[in-house]
Amino acid sequence: MQLLMLVVIVFLFAFPFIRPPLFFLTLLFSVFMYVGLTESWNLMGGYTGYVSLGHVTFFAIGAYTTALFLNRFGISPFATAILGGVFAAMVAALVGYPVLRLKGAYFTISTLLLAVVMQLIFMNWEFVGSSTGLWFKLLPVTMETNRLIFYEVMLALATLITLLVRWVEKSKLGAGLIAIREDEDVAKTIGINAPWLKVQAFILGAFFAGIVGGVYGYYMSYIHPDITFNINTSLLILLMAFFGGCKTWAGPLLGAVILSLANQLIVTFIGAEISRILYGLLLIIVIIFMPNGVIEYIKVPQILRKERTP
Amino acid sequence: MLEGTGVTKKFGGLVAVSNFDFSVEQGQIVGLIGPNGSGKTTLFNVITGFYPADGGRIVFKGREITRDKPYQIAKLGIARTFQIVRPLLSLSVLDNVAIAVLYGRENMSSMAKGRMRALEILKFVGLESKKNILAHQLVAAERKRLELARALAIKPEFLLLDETFSGLSDMEIQEAIKLIYRIRDDLGITIFLIEHVMKAVMGTCEKIMVIHYGVKLAEGKPEEVSKNPSVIQAYLGKRHA
Repeated sequence: MQLLMLVVIVFLFAFPFIRPPLFFLTLLFSVFMYVGLTESWNLMGGYTGYVSLGHVTFFAIGAYTTALFLNRFGISPFATAILGGVFAAMVAALVGYPVLRLKGAYFTISTLLLAVVMQLIFMNWEFVGSSTGLWFKLLPVTMETNRLIFYEVMLALATLITLLVRWVEKSKLGAGLIAIREDEDVAKTIGINAPWLKVQAFILGAFFAGIVGGVYGYYMSYIHPDITFNINTSLLILLMAFFGGCKTWAGPLLGAVILSLANQLIVTFIGAEISRILYGLLLIIVIIFMPNGVIEYIKVPQILRKERTP
Repeated sequence: MLEGTGVTKKFGGLVAVSNFDFSVEQGQIVGLIGPNGSGKTTLFNVITGFYPADGGRIVFKGREITRDKPYQIAKLGIARTFQIVRPLLSLSVLDNVAIAVLYGRENMSSMAKGRMRALEILKFVGLESKKNILAHQLVAAERKRLELARALAIKPEFLLLDETFSGLSDMEIQEAIKLIYRIRDDLGITIFLIEHVMKAVMGTCEKIMVIHYGVKLAEGKPEEVSKNPSVIQAYLGKRHA
């Protein structure tokens, strides 16, 4: 299994060099982006069971931070994408403590409000371009090279995030988060500082989303609150995670890959309107018949279980 | 070892625990009995920090814990079980205990080491053959053992047991009582337990406290308490007293 994953990753890194049509690079870029976002969302939404609709906020903050540092200080966006992650993490730390006191639907609603309010703030904030948005200075290279660079960067980022999330899942932190999801009161009686662990997961998820957002903004070369803070992004992330199965690292990966590919292919070959209908139907089917996600029907869980035995 | 003075807990106008004094010495097995709704579980929730006390003081090994949070109290060495057992259902039996080992007083950081230690604890409570099945597949008596194993996994010095014997058959109760003695004698853990099964309490505890409407009715050796008229009245009504 690990060998197979390695082969796939190596192949993906080499893929642009066989000169495929640019369409594929664009398509895969968005797949990688959703992998990174869904995996980072899963720290909170999957392991801890706190379903957030505010993930897009951290993504957008990353994009804006990167744009501002490039335009005002001329620092390379690939370096400031990390700063974007740091800013996103800081916002997560600020809102995390109060918001994470809420549970279930109340938590979800308050993160939805966070996303809406932040969009309004950026829409009306002159310093960040308000409703005119922000332009990035373009890379001084051809279109092909440009796509190639972004493809490789996003692939590396998605791989890194997935590996780190996988590592967290098997670590002490992950075990604590899962205990909180299963029963927060019990978690407390076995010595778990639940509020602190939740904030850690929230910050870590926001950090990754911020970096992804930074790279995305530079790739788009223009950002606007309506695009970056779009609540649909949060919904897509959530759907992908649930579709794939959010209890393991492999589920969101699978969900993000299948759904973003399906979405793009349907939009391209059938039509955007049909795509939403099919998308919705697919989701209903999965939630009714496979509540633990499609990952349950694939061999991966058994492999994971074997690893668990000491 | 654990001492409470004037512990009070109110829910709105209802005084669930009223000015309750208690003390448990090291190495004792102490029982807390009382009719339904008399405030037993509420008192446990106050001790373990789940409900903030509205009055009084709780001291554990000379340190005041009245305002501490549940996880801090766990770290100090007070473990508890829940009346309605609460296993982490989608995890394996082994991981249920291993997580408690990691976050408990041994404070390990490697899941593999935590699982090794967890296996020893499962052996102690007699669940090692079930280690790899998911917690929701256990039957009631096994769930009770798992609840105990998880509490022991934090390496406590003091254990609060909330109706561990309820819902068990006579045979299972006998085994559970043996296990509780082993917890005290082999592991040196002091035990404070809530119980409804009278036989179990009378045979096991050195001291019994009776709580009724949140107030302490009686305290003493099991045979003294069972003869106390106000206790009989609380349980069986005035005619029997």
